[in-house]
Amino acid sequence: MKVKIRKELIFGLALMAIVVISTLWAMPPLSKWSNGHYGLFMLSMIVVAIMLGFPTAFTLMGMGVIFTFIAYRSGAPSGIAIRQTLDLMTQRAYSVMTNDVLISVPLFVFMGYLVERAALIERLFKSLHLAIGRIPGSLAVATLATCAVFATATGIIGAVVTLMGLLAFPAMLRSKYDIKLSAGVITAGGTLGILIPPSVLLILYGATASVSVVQLYAGAFFPGIMLAGMYIVYVIVRAALNPRLAPKPPPEETRVDMPEWALRLSGGNVNRLAFPVIARALASGAAGIARSKLAVRFAMSLVPLVLIVAPVAVVYSAVTTVDVVDTGGLEEIGTEQAAEQEEFAGGVEEPPGSEEAAAAPAAAAKPPAAAEKPAVAEKPAAPLAAKASPSAPAPDRKPPPLWFWGLLALALVLLGVVYATLTFERLEILKMLLGSFFPLSALILAVLGSIIFGWATPTEAAAMGAAGGFVLAAGYGKLSLNLVKESAYLTAKTTAMVCWLFVGSSIFSAAFALLGGQQIIEHWVLSLHMTPVQFLLLTQVVIFLLGWPLEWTEIIVIFMPIFLPLVGIFQNDPNLHSSMGIDGKDLPLFFGLLVALNLQTAFLSPPVAMAAFYLKGVAPKHVTLNQIFAGMMPFMAIQVFALVVLYLFPDIGLWLPHLVYK
Amino acid sequence: MQKALLGIDKISTFVGHAFSWLIVALTALMTWEIFSRRFFDSPHAWTFDAQIQLYGFLFMTAGAYTLAAQGMVRGDVLYGFLAPRVQATVDLVLYVCFFIPGIVALTYAGWIYAGESWAIGERSTVMSNGPPLYWFKSIIPFAGALIGVQGLVEITRCVLCLRDGEWPSRKEDVEEVDVDKLKEMVHVKDEDIAKLDDLVVQQEKKKAEAAGSHGEGAA
Repeated sequence: MKVKIRKELIFGLALMAIVVISTLWAMPPLSKWSNGHYGLFMLSMIVVAIMLGFPTAFTLMGMGVIFTFIAYRSGAPSGIAIRQTLDLMTQRAYSVMTNDVLISVPLFVFMGYLVERAALIERLFKSLHLAIGRIPGSLAVATLATCAVFATATGIIGAVVTLMGLLAFPAMLRSKYDIKLSAGVITAGGTLGILIPPSVLLILYGATASVSVVQLYAGAFFPGIMLAGMYIVYVIVRAALNPRLAPKPPPEETRVDMPEWALRLSGGNVNRLAFPVIARALASGAAGIARSKLAVRFAMSLVPLVLIVAPVAVVYSAVTTVDVVDTGGLEEIGTEQAAEQEEFAGGVEEPPGSEEAAAAPAAAAKPPAAAEKPAVAEKPAAPLAAKASPSAPAPDRKPPPLWFWGLLALALVLLGVVYATLTFERLEILKMLLGSFFPLSALILAVLGSIIFGWATPTEAAAMGAAGGFVLAAGYGKLSLNLVKESAYLTAKTTAMVCWLFVGSSIFSAAFALLGGQQIIEHWVLSLHMTPVQFLLLTQVVIFLLGWPLEWTEIIVIFMPIFLPLVGIFQNDPNLHSSMGIDGKDLPLFFGLLVALNLQTAFLSPPVAMAAFYLKGVAPKHVTLNQIFAGMMPFMAIQVFALVVLYLFPDIGLWLPHLVYK
Repeated sequence: MQKALLGIDKISTFVGHAFSWLIVALTALMTWEIFSRRFFDSPHAWTFDAQIQLYGFLFMTAGAYTLAAQGMVRGDVLYGFLAPRVQATVDLVLYVCFFIPGIVALTYAGWIYAGESWAIGERSTVMSNGPPLYWFKSIIPFAGALIGVQGLVEITRCVLCLRDGEWPSRKEDVEEVDVDKLKEMVHVKDEDIAKLDDLVVQQEKKKAEAAGSHGEGAA
């Protein structure tokens, strides 16, 4: 152990020495220092000071004030310089206090704590695992999916990794999964929340770079999904190639608990098709089974129908409408939504009298299904439109293109497959999903959708998300004064941490700019005669390297103000479009997406790999940190690969913002 | 001494806790405003100012609380591996070099800034006849002073740590990742984790055997 501590110390000290020595090496002798050199000196000092471990916000503030004074002092007598320094400080602090982008930080954080404390992760993981039980590495895939959804909704990396370390890690170990693979999926999955919007990282980037958070959210959506998809594909492929890494879980892990009456109805055969039996029983009345229960099951069995038909109908109405951006159409959908919403909620809601103790989990799952109305509403809206439009085509409709019929056929096939395999067991799984997966993804989609489609500003959507968090917690019966109190306290702490960091860094970057450190860097970059591609590569490599010793907050608030003016230079580069395939005006947005994806690696790169330490904290004691680190490495490689893919195909990120804000 | 330190912790924490309820107010205010505007067609111009001020109050006043609860983000490349006395030395030097100048300047500057606002009875210009701003601006010197006092407490703690070789204790506060609570939430007990350990050891053993036989085969 002693040796190990030494190693860490040596590593840290070596990093600091590298920073100091390379700064001194690159700088002219002290006597020739200009103000700009002081700026660069300050920059390298801040990296060293952060590594020493002092609260970063105050290091930034203190250094900022000292160097601001130096900068002003070089042009004016002390008295005026002091006055100017003080003015700058308050003006910077006040601008953070009145920042209408950062205001969504506490709201999203609050939403996250409320959702986390609604305690639905256990149910979420179990139902997802049962739902995909047949594919190779199902437990690992379910872990990734749970992480992606839960981390996106809460954004609290530490809690997600810890919870999954308590839930999924034991499950995977019991199924004899490889330790490294198990550790890798938990740590990598847990950090997805910082990329997939709504994430605080993107808000901070938006506030630093003056890029619209709305566009960042729209842009980061697909890269986030892509990264999660790559993790999943990687796990499936590895599990398929080498089943010893991820053996099939023992049967007791995949057993579905069926209520007694459902077993009776199915005649003891859980693989019997559920839909016709329930429909018949509902119509004729089955002995000893309450109608209400049957009705609930029947309504649930209709959910796949709605989920498949709805998107098709949306596409239909989109491709046949002559004027796509017709606000009248939007309103119409809205009203239909409201009507359908009520129907839907009515169908799912269980009459209060029919609850029974034996079906406690089922009863608990019910309220959220009803509570998710606002979000599910987006989907159920469509069937009405679908039913209405073919029969009475409005004059402003044009005939759908050929591919639409292909899509329709595909949807019908899918529908057939789903209902041909919807057994009693699957229906039970669907019920569990409805109680865990759907409310959460509905909450996320509602928040995101309303931001991306411009129905609400990010701040408003964040407030609605926090309100949704309340509803969710209430729906799972967890809402209490204590829960709200704890969530509020934690929100205050997290917000203070982020925003004080912002106060410090905005004073710091003002000092850096005043000293002219920025000019020196710009001159240097321009003197290299880089192409935009080379520039982007260089900055991403720098950010990747910074991610090893530093945390993402520090990288965003300290280094983005330095990189972004450079991005501004390359925005006007005539070769940009031909070499990268993106327009200059999109560059800050695209850069932000690259940074967000890149900073995922900061969570998995030792020695400050937060995720690893959280997992270690709850893992059995023979699981070593080195095993966890080793497990994370393939996922870090995937992150880099995803970065390259996004780099080669910028449209993955830019397509949605272009579509919505053209 | 310890009593005095904990007492000041308590004040910071109390202020932080009290103002943290503003997040509930902020959520409620904005939700109400969205409904009012979208569905009842009656927007309120003052809500923009109100939400900004609620947010500003929330995070500024929570600064000292966060410092007292050790919630401020720090780089952890080295710090966690240092002995308490070395930690205290590093902290002490950096508190004196950076924290004191920064916070003193902020508080003093904020005092002047807020004073000017009070003198002219400044009001928000976002809307006509906007709400007063002088209260809001006064939060800068207030929060700065609070953090400054809390910083003095932390400096004293560094000195105590240098003397005793270990950090003085603090009062507990709600934590983001409270492992015990999370365990309770997902119904996992320590024994379960201990049981799992056997599985880990087994897997390791198997791997070692496999590697061993492979090595022999190669030889």
